Amino acid sequence: MAGPQPAGASAPALDAGNVTVRYGSFTALEGVSARFEPGLIHAIVGQNGAGKTTFARVAAGLVAPAQGDVLIFGEKVPPGDVLSARAAGVELVHQSFALPPSFTVAEVLQFVSPRRGIFSRKAIERHWQSWLNDIGIDLKADARIQDLPVESQQSAEIARAMVSDARLLILDEPTAVLAPEGIERLFARVRGLKARGVTVFLVLHKIREVLAVADTVTVLRGGRLVTGPVATVGLEPSALSGLIIGDSAGTIDAADRAALTGEGETTHASSTPPARRPGWAGALRIRRATVPGGPYGHGLHGVDLDVDEAEIVGIAGVEGNGQRDLVAAIAGLAPLTAGEIEIGAQRFARQGLAARRKAGLRIIPFERNVEGLSLTSSLWENWCAARLVGRSLFSPAGPRALRRDADAAFQAWDVRYRSPDQPAGSLSGGNAQKVILAREIDAEARLIVAAQPTRGLDIGATAAVWNALRGARDRGAGVLIISSDLDELFDICDKVVVLASGRSVGSFTPPYDIRAVGDAMIAAGGHGQEDLAP
Amino acid sequence: MTTQLAVVFRTFAFILAALLLCALIFAAVGLSATETLQGVIEGALFRPRALDHVLRWALPLLITSVGVVICFRAGFFNIGAQGQFYMGAIAAAFAAEALRGTSPLVAVPLCLAAGMAGGALWALWPALLRVRAGADEVITTMMGNFIAALALVHVTSGPLKDPSGSGQATSSRPIDAAHRISETTGTSPVILATAVLVVLLGWWLTRRTAFGILSGLAGRNPSMVAWQGARVESIAISAFLFSGGLAGLAGSIELLGPNGRLASGFLPTHGFTAILIGLVSSLSVLATVVVALFFGALASAALYLPIVAGLPAAAIEIINASIALFITARADAVRGVLSRWRSRWKT
Repeated sequence: MAGPQPAGASAPALDAGNVTVRYGSFTALEGVSARFEPGLIHAIVGQNGAGKTTFARVAAGLVAPAQGDVLIFGEKVPPGDVLSARAAGVELVHQSFALPPSFTVAEVLQFVSPRRGIFSRKAIERHWQSWLNDIGIDLKADARIQDLPVESQQSAEIARAMVSDARLLILDEPTAVLAPEGIERLFARVRGLKARGVTVFLVLHKIREVLAVADTVTVLRGGRLVTGPVATVGLEPSALSGLIIGDSAGTIDAADRAALTGEGETTHASSTPPARRPGWAGALRIRRATVPGGPYGHGLHGVDLDVDEAEIVGIAGVEGNGQRDLVAAIAGLAPLTAGEIEIGAQRFARQGLAARRKAGLRIIPFERNVEGLSLTSSLWENWCAARLVGRSLFSPAGPRALRRDADAAFQAWDVRYRSPDQPAGSLSGGNAQKVILAREIDAEARLIVAAQPTRGLDIGATAAVWNALRGARDRGAGVLIISSDLDELFDICDKVVVLASGRSVGSFTPPYDIRAVGDAMIAAGGHGQEDLAP
Repeated sequence: MTTQLAVVFRTFAFILAALLLCALIFAAVGLSATETLQGVIEGALFRPRALDHVLRWALPLLITSVGVVICFRAGFFNIGAQGQFYMGAIAAAFAAEALRGTSPLVAVPLCLAAGMAGGALWALWPALLRVRAGADEVITTMMGNFIAALALVHVTSGPLKDPSGSGQATSSRPIDAAHRISETTGTSPVILATAVLVVLLGWWLTRRTAFGILSGLAGRNPSMVAWQGARVESIAISAFLFSGGLAGLAGSIELLGPNGRLASGFLPTHGFTAILIGLVSSLSVLATVVVALFFGALASAALYLPIVAGLPAAAIEIINASIALFITARADAVRGVLSRWRSRWKT
């Protein structure tokens, strides 16, 4: 389906001239100029907040730049006009998918295609099945979107983009939702598209992935173009990671740095846990924990899990495989229908979160801006909530003292803020997470559950979170980290447990084997929403 | 504190805008806008014993609106202040009937306590429905208002009916004259002291206790408070009980004070004005003092207006309604800006 070669075949697929994008007072992109050759796979990399997604959106006409212009295959496209960009052959596949869940794949493709008229369901399915086979996407045309695992939903999104004969396909962080093997299959598909003459842009943030698939790489940092597009052939991974990280490169431990940028096979960082001390009885002990499936998906089915004192344990798994149920069960917010949970050698059945907090449980929840912070409330109120829940409701609470304590804690955790009275929503993601760390990590913490603690954070903030969790471990706390980033888990965890379909299906210790962990993640149907278990 | 000043400033700007709108409406129906507003100001501030008249209306409103503020801060839109006010008055009337002839030192505190209990109970069932079954408290408390108004009709025409009464509006026997805490037209040190106590308690509760901070957080983000391990249910039920209890207290004060008897359909807009006061004062207990005085002055003027040549008391209702309009419009505007801001930053 490679359309006829465009008139200006030698014209760049995308030519960005001095593009600047502002959101309010925040400059997301500043004076970015770059030309991308047609028919290649271009990777765009950078930290969170570097402007990668904004750049992709400018190219797709979703965001109008304040300055500069964009030429698609030599044609000037009016800024911020999706339809013109689409007509010029640009398609964008978003990070989060947006296909109607109750449609079949064929219905989706029919819906987005210009084909009109009256067809039978069979005819539509036959037409689109042969089209899918043609472009080499392995999907069943009669499958419903909601029944598809995440990886196939992504394929459906790519197919959707290809219906309109895209000549320039942009995939925004396509690997974030995939297991290691899924990533390889995605790359094979992308190479197939390239062979058909399609220019592909991949927004990535792992160097390993860039070198595996891309012909050129472009590095953004803080909204500015650092380099690119440059050919990936002969490129040194460490040089590339230095470009991504920038000035702070020297302050970050080499193993952390490799994990942060996915330089190569991630190894466990050298830090060793302190030796066991007498009197330690385990930070968390879960036996046969069962939680019925609910709005989060799978539920838990007889999960066993141990976290010792002074140990960091990671939970790996494709998202939606019971991770949220696990955290809710530990917190006491999702009652167990069977099994038992001990926190700090204390058994908990019906007692709520307040009692568990007293026993030393601390939680960094999945949704920083919903479960972690009240964005419209002041910083000091957000901080002191943990202190107040243990008290009786009508005990006096002096705001002055609480504000002062919060201030001191924020200083100690190096939070960048103006005043403890400012709303939590006015902080950047990294600073907001530090407020949560300042609240949750204290001397009495025995078990810290950190759910996706670095999601959306830039490299400096991510390293700060890792060091905070390591520090808590070195003081004797048990740490449980739930993450979909294997590099993160391999770097900081003393043990990694894989969760698939609500079951614990494997336990791994360093040195980690990414293949073995990846296999465990997709074993037992560990992909996405539906439960394939018999 | 500059932000608080800005809020006060903005609020008064909105009230000013509302008054301008009223002037337009008055002009449109052929009333002289300046004369009407002049009448309002005169009725509120410059008639004989003007302060007494203002306090007579402002103090019960103040007590009810402190309760409204406590509940709204926790994120529960208990709009049942009117019903809880009636139920408080009914409970106090039964207590007063039972205590007829006893010393006021015993009877008055007991009647006030009965009023609080009556109001609190009338807020308890919507609270339990909300917490246990997820029933929307806006609906349940609003329905509760109708039931309470009918209960008032029943009580005044049944159990507590004044046998000597002949008028169309049914009412109870007058309460024991010794138990009255104010004259028909005025206020009294007892009522004033109660109101001051309620304001101090409300301020302490919202600003100086764990309940105050946690309910403030829960009102903005209940999910976050739940993940901190707070007992969100206890916070909710306490907030409803305070709110209902204070509305009931206001009801019993009206009974023992200015009204002196239970009459069906008395003060039919008390609870709604109290909600308006809570909203205008941006859910701050201390601000309710100023705002309640303002609305008390309007209520006082409403009774004075007809005395001034041919001006309808309904003019006051138009003023109340346009202030409500502007205050809700303000809330919507703020919410709109927030959501727009959020969608912009979502990447």
